[in-house]
Amino acid sequence: MTGPLRRRLALVWLGLLAAGAFATPWLPLPDPAALDAAHRLAPPGWWRAPFLGTDPLGRDLLARCLAGARVSLVVGLLATAVALVVGVPWGAVAGLAGGRTDRTMMRLADALDSVPLVVVVLFLLSLFQGHEETLAAFGIGRLQFFFVAVGFLFWIPTARLARAETLRLARRPFLDAARAAGSPPQRTLARHVLPNLLPVTGVMLVLTLPRVVLMEAFLSFLGLGVEPPRVSWGILAAEGLGALNPLVDSWWLIVVPGAFLTLTLWALDGLRPAGAPRSSWRSRPRKTEEESVGSPTAARREG
Amino acid sequence: MNGLLPRLGRRLLVVAASVLLVHGLAFLALRAVPGGPFDTARPLAPEVRAALEARYGLDAPLHAQYLSALRGLLTGDFGPSLHYRDVAVRTILADALPVSLWVGGLALLLAFPLGAGCGVAAAMRRRLEGPALGASALLLAVPNFVLAGLFVLAFSFGLGWLPPAGWGGARHVVLPALCLALPLAAQVFRVAHEGARAAHGSPAVRFARAMGLPPRTLARRHVLRPALVPVAAFLAPASAGVLTGSLVVERVFALPGLGTHFVRAAMDRDYTLALGATVVYTALLGLCTLLGDLLLAVLDPRVEAVS
Repeated sequence: MTGPLRRRLALVWLGLLAAGAFATPWLPLPDPAALDAAHRLAPPGWWRAPFLGTDPLGRDLLARCLAGARVSLVVGLLATAVALVVGVPWGAVAGLAGGRTDRTMMRLADALDSVPLVVVVLFLLSLFQGHEETLAAFGIGRLQFFFVAVGFLFWIPTARLARAETLRLARRPFLDAARAAGSPPQRTLARHVLPNLLPVTGVMLVLTLPRVVLMEAFLSFLGLGVEPPRVSWGILAAEGLGALNPLVDSWWLIVVPGAFLTLTLWALDGLRPAGAPRSSWRSRPRKTEEESVGSPTAARREG
Repeated sequence: MNGLLPRLGRRLLVVAASVLLVHGLAFLALRAVPGGPFDTARPLAPEVRAALEARYGLDAPLHAQYLSALRGLLTGDFGPSLHYRDVAVRTILADALPVSLWVGGLALLLAFPLGAGCGVAAAMRRRLEGPALGASALLLAVPNFVLAGLFVLAFSFGLGWLPPAGWGGARHVVLPALCLALPLAAQVFRVAHEGARAAHGSPAVRFARAMGLPPRTLARRHVLRPALVPVAAFLAPASAGVLTGSLVVERVFALPGLGTHFVRAAMDRDYTLALGATVVYTALLGLCTLLGDLLLAVLDPRVEAVS
């Protein structure tokens, strides 16, 4: 399924999810942490009370998935924001400065990129543990720090894209004009380069968001991310996998959080504007039949 | 391809340099983490602790520790594991590496032909394009630990064909490799499809079709090869993805591979084992990138071979 239908379905799902996550306190659902010994491992009732079943402690899975949606979506949005705020200026400065500055900055990014992920995450989280009290005074908890840590993992691809775009901009006459008129570099950056990076930044946002959501689930799954009693989809999936066992039927514990995660990633992926880079491989726009007739892709590129 | 060997040597040197750099960074990062390898639920007596730290050289100043770690890196002997006392890190890594290589290698071997074949086929036949794109979008969205859960439910508990976890034979490789391979195949599919479509619309292919070349020859000779160029370039990110994915998949299937050891070692502050695993990971990644570049040069002679 591709095209406008997919985009519409994606928007519907994301809207439902956001509404559900936002409205959790007012929905007639049990508390996501409330134990219920009488209804342990109840299968999904679909239309009746445990709509999506309960876990081995009797907690309602729908309530837990919606609570997980809050964490996963908020982490996704904030971490993406961090990645963009760090990455875009980095790439823009490197691309604009050129020469040795550019090489040093991008080599540094390459070096950071080659350190295994788990080491980076552990290191960042350990920074937090070392200064727990100090940060708590500013109202920064482990969860908030986690946003920054995940965002920090994704600033490098963002910086590369921003640099490539800046290099493209740098060849345009208006930057020559600005330079010829004696605009200092900071001013060129702030007035001419960064505003022109905004459209690409939108694309980067859409490209980064699903990756960040997946990364949050991945890290939480490994036990490096969000920690119980908070729930996220990664934690729910880990619990579901842990509960898998050939004697007691509990398929919904993995299928339900998996479905939430998969649908959300699918929807976020579907939001990508047509013509946005999937891979950075097409160097020049190719002329195919559709494009020469004036497809939406071509129009968007012009606009 | 003139002077390939010196260039190859230079690239290998770059790999070695990045291993060295990452080793240093990981060393610092691990030491900066609060908590040490001997922090247990029941605190050790201070004398015991001091004796242990002296035994493993952790009481030395940081630069001395780094130098001895560096010596370990150069001789390939990372010392004893701090968690599994009296077992050399080298032994653990030597046991774990084949497991990870089997699973990861099989995943790459499955994903690339599958993805590239489907990509080229979808670009040639317009009827296949929609369904194939839809399937790849769905497959891309399934995280591999979810896929692992579904596979275990279906093939281990439901049908009883394959073991749900553990290591010990060909049957144990299948599910983990599939879990890594399918999402990867979807990515390869996208890259190959895009490349094949670009090639399909190129003047060369139009000309060949106008000359009356049969579709099969056209596909093999004029579409497949240019489409494979971006696919070869994708090998490096793909192997990085397999390495990351293996952390999760090995955990789900309880495989005694590198990823399992790595996560556990990092959490237990097993400095030596974590450092050894980091080095192996970095070296593997560097070699895969090099291999991808070599492949690229073979497929497209215009690309400067191993520049």
